[in-house]
Formats: sequence, structure tokens, C-alpha cells
Amino acid sequence: MDVIISISLNALTLISILMLVGLGLAIIYGLMGVINLSHGDFITIGAFSLAVVQGFGGSFWLALIVAPVVGAGLGLAIEQSIIRFLYARPLATIMVTWGLSLIIQQSLQLTFGAAPQRVLSPITGSVELFGAPYPAYRIAMIAMAAALMIAAYLLIRRTRFGLDLRAAIQNPDMARALGIDTGRVYAIAFSLGTAVAAIAGVLLAPLTAVIAQMGINYLARSFFVVIVGGTGSVPGVVAGSAVVGGAETLFNYVIPATLSQALVLVLAIVLVRLRPSGLVRG
Amino acid sequence: MADGVRTVRRDHRFRLSVVMLGLVLAFVCAAPLIVGVYAASLLRDAMLFSLLALALDYLWGKTGVLSFGHATFFGAGAYGAAIVSTRLGLDPVVGSWLGLIAGIAAAAAIALIVGYFLVFGGVRGSYFTIVTLALAVIAEHVIVGWSEVTGGDAGLLGIPPLYFPTTDGMAPLSAEALYWFVVAVVCVVTALLYRGCKGRYGSILKAIEDNELRARALGHNTSLHLLMVFVGSAAIAALGGALYASSVGFVAKDIVGLVLSTQVIIWVAIGGRGTLIGPILATIFILWLEQEVSSIDVRLWPLFMGGLFILTVFVFPDGILGKAEQLIAGARRHGAPRHAPRKGRHDG
Repeated sequence: MDVIISISLNALTLISILMLVGLGLAIIYGLMGVINLSHGDFITIGAFSLAVVQGFGGSFWLALIVAPVVGAGLGLAIEQSIIRFLYARPLATIMVTWGLSLIIQQSLQLTFGAAPQRVLSPITGSVELFGAPYPAYRIAMIAMAAALMIAAYLLIRRTRFGLDLRAAIQNPDMARALGIDTGRVYAIAFSLGTAVAAIAGVLLAPLTAVIAQMGINYLARSFFVVIVGGTGSVPGVVAGSAVVGGAETLFNYVIPATLSQALVLVLAIVLVRLRPSGLVRG
Repeated sequence: MADGVRTVRRDHRFRLSVVMLGLVLAFVCAAPLIVGVYAASLLRDAMLFSLLALALDYLWGKTGVLSFGHATFFGAGAYGAAIVSTRLGLDPVVGSWLGLIAGIAAAAAIALIVGYFLVFGGVRGSYFTIVTLALAVIAEHVIVGWSEVTGGDAGLLGIPPLYFPTTDGMAPLSAEALYWFVVAVVCVVTALLYRGCKGRYGSILKAIEDNELRARALGHNTSLHLLMVFVGSAAIAALGGALYASSVGFVAKDIVGLVLSTQVIIWVAIGGRGTLIGPILATIFILWLEQEVSSIDVRLWPLFMGGLFILTVFVFPDGILGKAEQLIAGARRHGAPRHAPRKGRHDG
């Protein structure tokens, strides 16, 4: 019984992490169609923001405000200076964002060094859940991830900006004719995606080693979360995370971690082939 | 008349490129005698990596399908050769050649399975790129995780060199002879690809790149063509990898995975995709540049690579040679009215 509870809680933790890293990409790749290979590095930037804020004596919660501002600012700068010229050239976008990824990683490593950054979890100790102790921070992170998903869903489905964004993506010409400034909508959406990635970085930083290359671990998986789930919808991210995270947790009990990650990617490729439009039709 | 002028100009260009190619080839062949055996061995390794660039150019340059995981096949060739020649207890004379064949077969088999699954499933464009990116990540995980066979992080040592028949029986080649052997292999593969992609077959691939739907409507089995190119490209990459393993004598995990997979994209893009010879020259040039930059500070090179990716997209979409050609053409056209009043006919 205890084993089942701990497996399910571990699965839920991993699913929450994947939801967090997948959400930003669901906006940038799923909705806008931009293959942003520097997505993982915005997660890294979020985690480093936490290290810097805490280094100056600030709290975790302050970092949760600072990181998205940093992420959005940098995202906006990149969108305005580079990405917006490449919306019609997907392969060029892939190459440019990979180049950006290399530059961000190496700049972080040159500035902060190769050693893992020190970050502190805001909540320590553990709570009893169905008779089994579990770290309290993980429970809090699962709750925050769920809250963020709901907020994103409401933003895209229930606000004026969400409507503009969906219109601009479905038919840019028609959207422009109706008076929507599509360039502005794209810029906001892109920086929103990078801001969400930075928040994800803050939230998962206490659970992992904060180094300049940490983002690369999440890159391939976050793409598959979005593709497997169904591009462009928040429920799709939840479904994709559940499949990828659930499978990986189960495999981890049977085979070594590196092989289970490989196996999950194989599974994801098979799923993409069998259901090209994803588990949830957006 | 206009056609005649154009033919003359193309003829002139062709002769120029043949002369250039001859000069490069002469230098490459003479390199061990000029720069010494050690520098030549670096050039040899660069030539082997250029087979990977050539393989990607065959796929990306000729059909427009970008693979983000092509080092997987280079690595499959290298690890296939390493495992067969060191782990099966074979006589190195037989084992070295069997390893080469096994490496190429392994890569081709992986490409056949993955390619059949994807290409016939209609996976194209950027989806294909992301899936192959995952392939590179999977390959890296497998190499690290399956350490009983692959040596894990430590890699595999003691791979025997290729044995050739000599006057005193079977023996490995000398450093110079091995170098020339590699040069010959690269030349033969390039020539075969160039010849193969020149005629009707090249036009079919071009048609698939431009508009696959239309090419299929004209009766070409485009999926089969793409699969064959993918497998052929993987085999060429594996040939480079297997020769690399037997030349260097060890393999480590840095020859599979994302880093090499993305570097080869830069080699092809800078060299000019679709030109075959361009990526080979770019591979050698950029590996040399990498060494020069890294000798100042190892940490600078990733910044350089990142910059190169961005520069390629915005400044050299057709590669450096393409850009140079464009600049020369621009300068000529600019000066044309003074020297050649009948400029209109040149363009016609």
C-alpha cells in the first residue's frame, strides 16, 4: 500500500514538473508554432534567478515574482530582435533558437561558474499523506502547478487577450482585418511563454541541481509533452504530462533512470506516429 | 544568343571550380608531407567527420528534410565497429573489417526502422526534426545507461585498426597511408553522391523537396525515395563513424548525441547545403577554427557556435561560398553597364 502511494505521489511530482515545463512551450510551440529550442534555457534562467535573489537575501516568493519578469523581458527582447523575422521559416527558427540556447548556457556558466548554484526550498519538513510521509515542498509544488495550469486555461479561453491570440493564430490576415495587432499579440504570447518557463525554473529548482545545462534535460521531454498531449491546448499539456511522467515513474522502478528516459522518448515517438494530432484535440 | 552567353559563363564557372577543386585536392593529398604527421592525423579526423556532414547534406540538402540527430548514425557506426571488434574475441584482422561492416549495418538498420516508421507515417518538416532530436537524446541515454556493452561514460578502448594485405601478410597501414586511404574514401563517396544526384534521380529529389504532393501526383513514390535517402545517408554517416573508431582506436559518448548532431548542421549550413563539396570544406575549416578558438579559452567555443547558428540564418542562408558568389555576381552586375552595354542579354 505504502509503495503504491509513494509511486503515485512521485508520479504526480514528475507530472507537475512536466506540466510546468510544458506549459510555456504549449504557448510558444503549441499555439504559435515556433520551435523554440532555447525553451529549456528559460527554465534555467528562472532557476538562476532564484539563486541570485536568495543570494541577495531575498525570499523564494520574491524570486517567484522576479523570475517571470526576467524571463518575459529576455523573451520579449529575443522575439523583437530575432524571432519575429522568422515566423515563416521554421527550420531557420530551429537553428537560431539552438544558437541562442548555446549562448545562454555558456554565458550563465561563464558568469556563475560550473558548480551547482545553492537554492533553498521555502518549505521544509514532510507531511503525512494517507499514512505515508512525503516532502511538504513537493505537495506545495503540485498544488502551484495545478493553479498555474488553471490560470493559463482561463487566460487563453476566457479573456480578451486569449481570444485575440487564438484569432491571430487561426487566421492572421482576418485577425488583422478585424483590428487585432497580430505582431503585438505574438510578442506578448512569446514573452508569456518564456515567463512561464522561468516560473517553472523557480519551482523545480529546489528539487534538482541548478547548473547552466539543466534546461537541456527538459527540452526533448517538454516537446513531447506538448506533441503527445495535442498541440495548443492546456488540457493537452495535462494529458501529455500524465502519459510521459506516469510512464517514466513506472519505468524507473524497473530499469535505470537513463534507460527509462530513453524508453519514454521511444514511447512518445510511437504515440506521435499513431496519434499525430495528440491525445486531446485542441 | 543570350543562351550562348550563359552557357559560356557556366562553362567558365565550371572550369574555375574544377581548377579550385584540383588545387584543394592536391594540397589535401600532400598535407602529411607539408604539415607533418600529427597535423595530418587531425585533418584525417576532420575528413571522417566530413563524411557525417556529407551524409546530412545528402538528406537535408537534397530533400530538405532536416535531421537533428544525425550523430546517432555516426555513433552507431563507431560503436558498432568498436563493440564487434573488441568484445567478440575476434582476430583483429577479421574483426576490424567485420566491425566496419557491422557498424554500417547497425546504423542502416536503425535508420530503416525509424525511417519506415516516420516517413511512411507522414511525419515531415519540423515534426521530423524534433523526433530526430529525441533520437539523439535516446542514443546518448543508451550509451551512458548500457555501460556493460558500451563502456558508459568511459567509452571503449583498444579498437584495432583496419588490416590491409601487404608484402609481409596482413598489417595495419602507416599513418600516412591511412590518411590517404581516408582521403580516397571521402573522394569516392563524394563523387558517387555527386554523380548520383546529378541526373534524373537528382531532379526527383529536388521535386520532392519543392513540393512532395506534386511529386507524388506525378507518380513518384516519394515516401520510398525519402526512406532510401535516409538509410543511405545513415550508412554514409556510419562509414565515417566506423572508420573514425578504427583510426583513433577509442570511442566515447561525445560522438553520439546532441552536440555533434547540431555541430554537423552548422558545417552543412556554412558550407552551403546541397553542394556536397561545401560541407566537406566547411567541416575542416570549422574544426580548425574550433581548435584555434579553444586554444585561447575552451569556454569560448560554445559562444562562437551559438553566434554561427544565428549568423548562418541571417547572413549566410546559402553558405559562405554561396554568399561570396552572390557578392561577386552583385559586384559584376554593378559594374556591368560600363564594361558591357548589352547587359540585358546576360540576364535573359
